[in-house]
Amino acid sequence: MENGAKSWAFRGTQKLSAKQSKDPKQKVTIREALDKLMGNLNEDDDRSVIPLGHGDPSAFPCFRTSPVAEDAIVDAVRSSKFNCYSPAAGIPPARRAIAEYLSRDLPYKLSPDDVSVTLGCTQAIEIIITALARPGANILVPRPGYPLYEARAAFSNLEVRHFDLIPEKGWEVDLDSVEALTDDNTVAMVIISPGNPCGNTAETARKLGIIVIADEVYSHLVFGNKQFVPMGEFGSIVPVLTVGSISKRWIVPGWRLGWIATNDPCGLLKQTGILDSIKKYLNISSDPATFIQGAIPKILENTTEEFFSNIINTMKEDADICYSKIKEIPGIACPQKPEGAMSAMVKLNLSLLEGINDDMDFCAKLAKEESVIVLPGIAVGMKNWIRITFAIEPVFLAEGLDRIKSFYERHAKKL
Amino acid sequence: MENIVKKWDSKVNSASDISVTARGTLSMLMQHLNEEDKRPVIKLSQGDPAAFPCFRTSHAAEEAVINALRSAKYNCYAPFVGIPPARRAVAEYLSRDLPYKLSPDDVYITSGGAQAMEIILSVLAGPGANILLPRPGFANYEARCAFSNLEVRHYDLLPEKGWEVDLDGVKALADENTIAIVIINPGNPCGNVFSYEHLKKIAKTAIELGLLVVADEVYGHLTFGCTPFVPMAVFGSSIPIITLGSISKRWSVTGWRLGWLVTCDPTGTLQKSRIVECINSSLKIISNPVTFIQGALPQILDLEKTNSDYFSISTSLLKEATEILCDKIKEIPSITCPTKPEGSVFAMVKLDFSQLEDIDDDMDFCVKLAKEESVIVLPGVIVGLKNWLRISFATDPKYLENGLERVKSFCKKHSKKHFY
Repeated sequence: MENGAKSWAFRGTQKLSAKQSKDPKQKVTIREALDKLMGNLNEDDDRSVIPLGHGDPSAFPCFRTSPVAEDAIVDAVRSSKFNCYSPAAGIPPARRAIAEYLSRDLPYKLSPDDVSVTLGCTQAIEIIITALARPGANILVPRPGYPLYEARAAFSNLEVRHFDLIPEKGWEVDLDSVEALTDDNTVAMVIISPGNPCGNTAETARKLGIIVIADEVYSHLVFGNKQFVPMGEFGSIVPVLTVGSISKRWIVPGWRLGWIATNDPCGLLKQTGILDSIKKYLNISSDPATFIQGAIPKILENTTEEFFSNIINTMKEDADICYSKIKEIPGIACPQKPEGAMSAMVKLNLSLLEGINDDMDFCAKLAKEESVIVLPGIAVGMKNWIRITFAIEPVFLAEGLDRIKSFYERHAKKL
Repeated sequence: MENIVKKWDSKVNSASDISVTARGTLSMLMQHLNEEDKRPVIKLSQGDPAAFPCFRTSHAAEEAVINALRSAKYNCYAPFVGIPPARRAVAEYLSRDLPYKLSPDDVYITSGGAQAMEIILSVLAGPGANILLPRPGFANYEARCAFSNLEVRHYDLLPEKGWEVDLDGVKALADENTIAIVIINPGNPCGNVFSYEHLKKIAKTAIELGLLVVADEVYGHLTFGCTPFVPMAVFGSSIPIITLGSISKRWSVTGWRLGWLVTCDPTGTLQKSRIVECINSSLKIISNPVTFIQGALPQILDLEKTNSDYFSISTSLLKEATEILCDKIKEIPSITCPTKPEGSVFAMVKLDFSQLEDIDDDMDFCVKLAKEESVIVLPGVIVGLKNWLRISFATDPKYLENGLERVKSFCKKHSKKHFY
């Protein structure tokens, strides 16, 4: 440096530096993986890109959010009563409305104090992982799962251990693997719903002395035979921290409104100081927009059943299309028809394909040759699987799957 | 379930040593309010103009947000760096005050200035590193540094010099592990505005010591005295600067949570030191600001669209408030205001305990004030100056006047008898 000045002392922290992660399986976020695939698209292909990679159908008119929700926001903005700072845990009307909303599905009533409003479910996860992190501790997360858990745990120096979901059993939790993984330093397990939260999982967690983090961001998005059951139902068996948001059910991921709810009638979360840690971290974190909090009571209370059933019906139609078209493609297999959420895990049979090395390669070539984006399973912990998000306009979904079929036929091993 | 409880007995949690913030202290003070007192509570504590109708945000801003929402184009996830129109709008807005043009790539959209601060501190934290923070300052910095295990060293702002930075003190504090200095301008909590010459000296000192300057300019343009606001980035052609800002204060929309972190990196130092890479990595694992508010940003920041009166009305309200503040403080023997605020929304005033009795310190003053007069102000110890008080004047003028009248009564009641 000139003028005999000292050289610059600052450096970007190792924790966030890509150089640090030599692990090839190192957590790439879903959006990063998708951005990379988008970079592979062929500019000369005039066809529209079919996005089957991430859970955001908001761009499609058939998935437009409820007018009740939009109106509620407009009212809140125009009232000018919600332009100010919010208390750390959220404004009381929002906490109350969320407590009532969640209590509809529980055998007990949540108090507004049991609810903290967060900047989307993403922040809810950030807060809980941070609050639980301590030297030497570990948490259990499902595979396939959601890579944000791994990324946040890595940042907080919290060890992650993976338990399996069993594809042949409808992605049920492999409770034996949960038991095998747990030791004295295991503090929590993450369950992502809708899936199969059930009494058995709660009993196992209780036996092992670990709390359950119930990720219910897809709550109520069920369209098969099974009913949505919140993990909080088993709150008296084992303490449950539920995270959720309006992003998926109302198709508004850009509104960034989520929550942490404590389902803990026995008060263990308080006793262990976990609630205190959550509160402290909330106090130094940025909050969700106050006017969106202000709109929450109307959004949760007044959205019509008609809106919800329209969305569910479209998703059911999508799930049917997805499952039946995949059956027609020999190189890929979907073990179970999706009954909830927005995606299906689909297994690749690479032995039937020529010139495709793995799931990443499959997705990269698919993007280039067919302008279809699907997520490589490695991003959610399942190498040589792919994740197809079917929640888009049904016509586009059908076209996307037809293009995947063409792709398969082009790459099929000649027998 | 004793085995669950046992696990948590001994281990210390990383979140548990977060030091106390203004927000936390103010909640605590609220608990001391006397329920029997029928008078409305007067809060001269949180710098939140949005809580008062007289500061209602511009009509253009409200309409911009509503239009963006109704377009249904912004209900989706945003790219983690922010949507391109928002980045472009911030780059253009800030470039108005600079001798060069910022690129949209230099701009990262964040959930308020708070999140921008969170990001840069987590990016800078490293084993053994230390950062220079002002005293008095903004307690959230200390809290975030504690959380990130980033050592804090405090440099003084000098009350006798209009709260200028003690640059000799800075030089004495810095060592080979000092990586950055945070400069808050316009000042929180002192309400001062640094002159161009002083900022130039700060920049020079930063070069000498090899420090990154983090310019916290959330109160940018909120000035009403003689000294104009000069962004630190005017020195951006010679030193790397990180600017933190938001629309919260200037537009009175503290609840909208829309801010920015802007990199100014003429010599490529921020790239080479991986700071830019780490900022990007950090953004990928945190939650991003509301997409439709980002969508509204081009209209909000388009100053031609905002009714030209809007800004002058709000700054004259603030100016009027500082007059009220200074006049009223003059009437209270046990309190002095050494420097009239020229910017931001806060003033630091000093307590003279030789004129007060039954009061131990500033914290005790504030607790008793809450209990006896239902007035909330922040004790200076929270911002690093014990036995001072931090008063917010971003309120309705009458409200401020009433509050200070009650403070006057309180001081009179507690005055050492021979002064009255």
